[in-house]
Amino acid sequence: MKVLAAYSIKGGVGKTSAAVNLAHEAARSGSRVLLWDLDPQGAATFYVRVKPSVKGGAERLLRKPDAFSASIRATDDPALHVVPADFSLRHLDLELDGTKKPTRRLAALLEPVADQYDVAILDCPPGITLTSESVFGAADALIVPTIPTTLSERTLDQLIGFLAEKKKAPMVLPFASMLDRRKRMQRDIAAHLLSDIPGFLPTAIPNASVIEQMGIERAPVALFAPKSAAALAFRQLWADIATRIWP
Amino acid sequence: MSMVTFLVPGSDGPNGESLDKLGFHFAPPEVVTITVLDTFDGRLHRAGLRLQANEVRGLELVLSGEATGPAHLEVRARPRTAADLPPGPFRARLAAVTDGRALLPQLRVRTRRTSGEWRDATGKVVALAQLHDDVRILDLPAITNGPATVEIDEVPGYPKQARQAIKALRHEGLVEAPVDTLAGCAAAAGVDFAGFDGGATVPLDPEITAFDGFRSVLARLATTITANWQGTIDELDPEFLHDLRIGIRRTRTILSESKSVLPAAVLNRTRRDFSWLGGLSGPPRDLDVYILEWPSYIAPLGAEIAPALAPVREILERSRTEVHADLAAALQSDRATELIVSWSHWLTAAVDEDDLPSRADRPLGRLVAKRIRRAHDGLIERGRLIDPDTPAEQVHELRKDAKKLRYLLECFGSLLPAGPRKRYVKRLKALQDNLGEHQDSEVHVGMLRGVARQLFEADAPADTMVAIGRLTDLLDRRCLAARAEFAERFADYDSPATQQALDAVLEGITG
Repeated sequence: MKVLAAYSIKGGVGKTSAAVNLAHEAARSGSRVLLWDLDPQGAATFYVRVKPSVKGGAERLLRKPDAFSASIRATDDPALHVVPADFSLRHLDLELDGTKKPTRRLAALLEPVADQYDVAILDCPPGITLTSESVFGAADALIVPTIPTTLSERTLDQLIGFLAEKKKAPMVLPFASMLDRRKRMQRDIAAHLLSDIPGFLPTAIPNASVIEQMGIERAPVALFAPKSAAALAFRQLWADIATRIWP
Repeated sequence: MSMVTFLVPGSDGPNGESLDKLGFHFAPPEVVTITVLDTFDGRLHRAGLRLQANEVRGLELVLSGEATGPAHLEVRARPRTAADLPPGPFRARLAAVTDGRALLPQLRVRTRRTSGEWRDATGKVVALAQLHDDVRILDLPAITNGPATVEIDEVPGYPKQARQAIKALRHEGLVEAPVDTLAGCAAAAGVDFAGFDGGATVPLDPEITAFDGFRSVLARLATTITANWQGTIDELDPEFLHDLRIGIRRTRTILSESKSVLPAAVLNRTRRDFSWLGGLSGPPRDLDVYILEWPSYIAPLGAEIAPALAPVREILERSRTEVHADLAAALQSDRATELIVSWSHWLTAAVDEDDLPSRADRPLGRLVAKRIRRAHDGLIERGRLIDPDTPAEQVHELRKDAKKLRYLLECFGSLLPAGPRKRYVKRLKALQDNLGEHQDSEVHVGMLRGVARQLFEADAPADTMVAIGRLTDLLDRRCLAARAEFAERFADYDSPATQQALDAVLEGITG
């Protein structure tokens, strides 16, 4: 099982929509997918129509053997399962802090289900915290949505710099997110990121209202607007990622 | 995801009424053609997997397992092998199990399928149902119907709703089927998803006569040869030829040990014919191996050298096509057909005891022990004669001796105690690996030199000739390394530990 984390230091950059749509594309193209919603807001869980609640909350999830497997729910796609979010995940840093080897804890939770899934996609909360460090310890690759603005570029540099200091770090696969093609500055920054950042993925996700409609439809874009530019972009983005992960 | 299947009696098929009442909503029925795919030897089935190609509006592959949920992949055409699929986990999982073997249809079923979903108040699917009626098993000589069924799929995380659905169907008087719809169809069609078992071992009793024992083993081998015959002609995948060839070689080994067991007239004729067939199967197999191993041969030379070697690869492919065509023609010839038909018939027909050699009624166990001991001693004796100056042909002969011994151990395996046999075979295999590495490199260097001559005469580009030189040098070095390692490997084999291992094997038969 490969573990991919939709992650960014910044919030509001399109992590959750990327996680859900990429999970759908992965399942559509032959993978058994586990989507793990680590964000206490539970937006990814909401999008796949599952109740955002885990029995016993984050504490039980981290400490009780089998609690992780027991929390898995199927979505409406038989090949896509989810570990729902729970509001108690807002204390995840504290809970992790109370465990042995906290930076390996998320990897340890995923290990027993590794034979049942081909891909786990983690929808992560923003920031660089103990949770993020545990994500870095579990992930084979970080999928980093990057709005083509100077501030987003700066946080991407921060992340790459942070990981460069680690002995073992996941692959970083950033992509241009919420790209507004009408804005020249965004187009220029996206082009410059693609040429200058190693691993930057060539497919950009547009800033599209159809992505916002996911909240109304409670489904990945491809299910209710399969021919939209956003759906096609997510499909291509998954193909880009798959080529890097399974060359 | 667990599934429970109910049989629907009568000809009306399931109507899903009790499920309607629970809250299931059914889509209009659709006709689906389902093809179950597996390798000839049922590798997916053995791994607990099932691969279906479902044709409804398009074509979708579904890979499901006993312990995991299904994976789905839309495809344009049914893949011949896993390599025909796009890169990704689906292909990787299939390739890991099938290892290059062709995905062949095991069963084709056409069913009228009605899919139902039960959604909760938030619109979330909490249970799934499928009604199958008008189930027809295709490709059979007579119209054969499969069972009409209702299948309830539990949605992980929502077990309660599936339980309610199952309870409702039981209440309706439906009876649970022991297997799912497709397995029910396989049973009705007499299809065994386990595939063909190519193992050489047959159950044997050491006290039966040598004649009966040898015939049982030869009959098993004839079944393997026959089973792989058409797949070799059609070139479905390289394993058909491999298994056909192994069947022939094992047969030849057993025949070579049958002088005092089988009637001389039958033996002489059959040995001659199998020798002919074995000779024809050698060149295509050598080229199959060459082409299969090609990426690993050229990898050490670096990716940039591959284009320069493309003309070599083309000639090898062409040669392979030619010798495969020769073999296919031979397998379809009267001589080959007559050989396999009459041989298979003789192996099961009644035999006049007067035609048998006088000692054919000896107990099988003692004779096999004697033959294995003799093969082992011969291998040791000839191996001791090999030194760094011994010609390669003699080393090749030693490899054949080792193979014959291995075949005896495999074909009469059921007479031998499993543990000691495994320990002894492990020691023999270490020697065989070294001899195999030596011979493969030697044969492939020889082929490469032949190709080089052809290309030189055709004024091939200089970079191709240089690349051939580098590859020849690499294979030569591999061959020399194997030869240099031989003394150590043989010394390990020619040791008291091997002798003890063999004694333990043979005591298991005779002791």
